[in-house]
Amino acid sequence: MNAWLLVAPLGVLAFAGLGIMLIDAFSPGRAELAGVTTTALLMAGLISVVALLSGVDPGELPRSLRAFIAVDHAGLYFDVVICAGAALSALLAGGYLKEHHLERGEYYVLLIFSALGAMILARAVDLITLFIGLETMSLGVYCMIAYRRTSIRATEGALKYFLLGSFAAAILLFGTALIYGATGHTDLAGIGNVLAAGGADARLVLLALALIVVGLAFKVSAVPFHMWTPDAYEGAPTPTTTFMAVAVKTAGFAIMLRMLITAFGDPLSASPETGWPPLIAGIAILSMIYGNVAGLAQTSVKRMLAYSSIAHAGYILVAVAVSYAAREQAIASVLYYLLAYTVSNVLAFGSLILLGSRGKEAVTYEDLAGAGRRHPLAALPLVIGVLSLMGFPPTAGFFAKYYVLTTALSIGGGMVWVAIILVLSSALGAYYYLKVIVFLFMKEPQAGAPKAVPMRSGYVAFALVLAGYFVIKMGVTPEPYLRMAVDAAQSFIS
Amino acid sequence: MEFAIGIYLALASALFGIGAIGFLLRRNALIQLMSIELMLNAVNVLLVAFNRVHPENMAGQVFAFFVIAIAAAEAAVGLAIVISLFRLKQTVETDSADELRY
Repeated sequence: MNAWLLVAPLGVLAFAGLGIMLIDAFSPGRAELAGVTTTALLMAGLISVVALLSGVDPGELPRSLRAFIAVDHAGLYFDVVICAGAALSALLAGGYLKEHHLERGEYYVLLIFSALGAMILARAVDLITLFIGLETMSLGVYCMIAYRRTSIRATEGALKYFLLGSFAAAILLFGTALIYGATGHTDLAGIGNVLAAGGADARLVLLALALIVVGLAFKVSAVPFHMWTPDAYEGAPTPTTTFMAVAVKTAGFAIMLRMLITAFGDPLSASPETGWPPLIAGIAILSMIYGNVAGLAQTSVKRMLAYSSIAHAGYILVAVAVSYAAREQAIASVLYYLLAYTVSNVLAFGSLILLGSRGKEAVTYEDLAGAGRRHPLAALPLVIGVLSLMGFPPTAGFFAKYYVLTTALSIGGGMVWVAIILVLSSALGAYYYLKVIVFLFMKEPQAGAPKAVPMRSGYVAFALVLAGYFVIKMGVTPEPYLRMAVDAAQSFIS
Repeated sequence: MEFAIGIYLALASALFGIGAIGFLLRRNALIQLMSIELMLNAVNVLLVAFNRVHPENMAGQVFAFFVIAIAAAEAAVGLAIVISLFRLKQTVETDSADELRY
């Protein structure tokens, strides 16, 4: 088998993006761009699956390419997760944009290039690739948030995310410049080798490490770098929110793992007393507590899901924090969590899109009142989605949390307390997830309030069926997905 | 003459600090954009100076070129968002963006 298969997903997306721009330029408003975009993304994802299973030797690829882009199984795994998330977001956009009279070609171009940026970021093994991927992804997302130009809320969300995002990128970049100065390398493996040999100024290294962690924590919306999250999530069109919650977060965690394990895996930086593990664990604790407590007070479901995404960042960070010791198990639980989180979130946001119709979005709990009894079939995906986000068996979210918990407990020591906080805070969070179900089935809309009518869209229905299938399947038979995650995790360690 | 990296480190840190303080204290979106540019240029100074310390390849200078190109792209998107805010609100003060509250 040809080794170029390993980088083919990136090429497919790059050319698909250019192709869609041409289609939109020559036949504006006629082509079904949502369908084209989804097909391209699913094709890229499928190629990654084939490459994962075929066991191609990456050694055949030119060294100049392998020095910048990872061609390992972890990279392909992230391709699958990001492509799945982006393809499902594109399907949701196909329904949402038509319903709200926003259907313009550039949305899909931005989406596909953003997904490409996320994949480059997840595969970055060099600081230069890291920065290019990060900005390709982020610039697309900023535009996708501000997409509804007449809406003050969308513009405001985009401005806040843009300013804070660029600020965080500058901090991250300063950190990468310092680590380049300390080691003389821009490739992560080279940095790791110099640090392991002890040939770098420890003060510069620790400062660089702190700046890089801050920059990356911002991208995955962990406390205390989460301020933009609720505003950007609420202001953005819902398909964009979905994309941010799934693809951006996946890429953020991917590069965080690569950075911490490949570059900062030396005994000093990864020391459980003075290195990054306690720092990450601290951020994880803050995110879990803040996300779940602040989520309680929300009246908007979209905003509640933003706080839930902060809390989930915390859960994943628990597994990242223990990746210095229980390496394979910890990394595999991060990877599994990201896949489970992607499908669950698509289900939750997708059914919010489905339930709001005729120009009005269902955003508050009030909007959902009684919708479950009037339209049980449209409410079902929302129920499964929030149950999975809550971690209720037998859904994908249950095993995701279970693997993170067992990994944290297997380390013992202080991590047991972190695991206890994880359980207690997610019990607190169950309140606002269950509130969705209570409003759907046990409340009646206030007199005179407009009643939501589910939209009719083949795209949205297809996305929900696909996501729902995987949420249930990963909850009933998690083994094949876990095996895939373990296999991908091994390429981090070697 | 001995190459004194310390001076460049101090210069870059000072530029970066001025940019960061400007970003955090000013409420005008355009000034905040300028502050971010200042921070990115501080990084460029650092990268080029560090390349003198590690002369075996040109990685630092190449990195600096990429940073310059990406900073331009970022400024384009940022200005577009600021214009979009100005059209809706007739101001570029970030304090005026206060619709989204819980």
